Amino acid sequence: MTAVVEVSRLTKSYRDVTAVDDVSFAIEAGKIYGLLGRNGAGKTTLMQMITAQAFPTIGELRVFGESPFENNRVLSRICFIKESQKYPDNYRVADVLDLCSDLFPNWDRDFADRLVEAFRLPPKRQMRKLSRGMLSSVGIVAGLASRAPLTIFDEPYLGLDAASRSLFYELLVEDYAEHPRTVILSTHLIDEVSRILEHVIVINDGRVLIDEETDSLRNRAFTVSGATADVEAFAKGKTVLHRETLGGLASAIVVGNPGADDRQLARSLRLELDNVPLQQLIVHLTSRKSYGKEAKA
Amino acid sequence: MRNRTSTVIKMHLKDRMSWFFIPWVFVLSFAFAVNYTISFFLDEDLYTGGLASIIIYTNVVGFMTLHQTFPFALGYSIRRTDYFLGTAATVAGFSAISALLLALLSVIESRWIVNWGTGLHFFHLPYLSDGTVLQRFFIFFIVLLHMYFLGFVLSSVHRRFRMTGILAVFIAFLLLSGIFSFVMLKYNLWIDLWSWLAGHTAFQLSLWLVPLVVLYAALSYWLLRRSAA
Repeated sequence: MTAVVEVSRLTKSYRDVTAVDDVSFAIEAGKIYGLLGRNGAGKTTLMQMITAQAFPTIGELRVFGESPFENNRVLSRICFIKESQKYPDNYRVADVLDLCSDLFPNWDRDFADRLVEAFRLPPKRQMRKLSRGMLSSVGIVAGLASRAPLTIFDEPYLGLDAASRSLFYELLVEDYAEHPRTVILSTHLIDEVSRILEHVIVINDGRVLIDEETDSLRNRAFTVSGATADVEAFAKGKTVLHRETLGGLASAIVVGNPGADDRQLARSLRLELDNVPLQQLIVHLTSRKSYGKEAKA
Repeated sequence: MRNRTSTVIKMHLKDRMSWFFIPWVFVLSFAFAVNYTISFFLDEDLYTGGLASIIIYTNVVGFMTLHQTFPFALGYSIRRTDYFLGTAATVAGFSAISALLLALLSVIESRWIVNWGTGLHFFHLPYLSDGTVLQRFFIFFIVLLHMYFLGFVLSSVHRRFRMTGILAVFIAFLLLSGIFSFVMLKYNLWIDLWSWLAGHTAFQLSLWLVPLVVLYAALSYWLLRRSAA
């Protein structure tokens, strides 16, 4: 597999904060990645370094096999859409999109026009007069129509309603199928994107906690639910990420993949085994880690 | 791959408001209209510094450019080098075209519609316009370019070092000008300086802006290469 992004021991510290702390991972070509984590986890800083907008304090960074800094061979293949993107005051929607056709070699004008209609954007309106949701839509149109070999969306949908968000996911998957490229989707709305992600990287406090294929991540834990006493009996000796009780019923998230004997036991205790939604799984995997860290400190 | 420096020029020129309408239509035309109206009611000739309006405006644009377009450009995959070169080219073009128009207007004012019929001296001023048309063009050009890059280098300092940088520049400027005045005073050099200045034409003096522009440009490029979006 060819790596589009290779990050090795990357660290970014500001005066008294370490935003990204000794991070290493690789992004392979032709996949949709989820870069997940809470607000302030270091996702944006990481992506700004990948796109040469911020400077690493220490560490190695290769994008398309080269350093991205002041490198047009690399930068012309990247489209980075971020929530906090600023636009010149006097720019209209059409100005931004027109410039995009110069900046991104694979830019598809027809596709962009169709997207503008789909997201009901007013092309003649000034950027600073757009609502928050419309501003996000401009980024989404630019990101999709750029068809950049590496397209990065960093929380691209602030202010967008659920319908527009699902339109975005739909269009992304559709266009990705026709024009394969590498997509990094950074978000904290994990449930919404979980079905389109092929690989998940979870960042917490500037460190990589999880870097795994979505399918194998799903197999890392399962829920067991039923009568409280039976759930406890089942969970005995297993690592439990999370417990919930309601009346006489309980459910627990158990680490591991249920084996044949687990299933046997569950059947005999009349317990139900189920998949854990990705969001819940990540929340529990990460909160356990950070809890452990606090306990150590 | 397309030339991304020209894309930066295009990026700037899309903002016709800042590069055309405000300086020429609002600022300069307004300053002219006000002075023209006043000159209409005056018996004697009116010598005005209304030209300063476009010069100061250019300085303001120099301050504003980075804030307006640098985060946008970097965010949309433009290199810092291309940003700098494209911006410098845009400003050089703006200064050249503006200077050409100003030189032309000074010719109109001095030869064709003498003082606009009301005794107004707006584009053709004593001392400043003493030289040839070409020299007048150059003076306007280098003054505009200098004012732009003065604003641009200061906002580059701000972009790289934030308020601390601006304060440092300000303190350094106060210190240096204080020492300079002290030395000039102590060795009675002020008189020499004034007579030296008076001994040179506006064109000769404007040549001194060339190294300054080069210095500002080099410094701002150096700073931008080290600035985050």
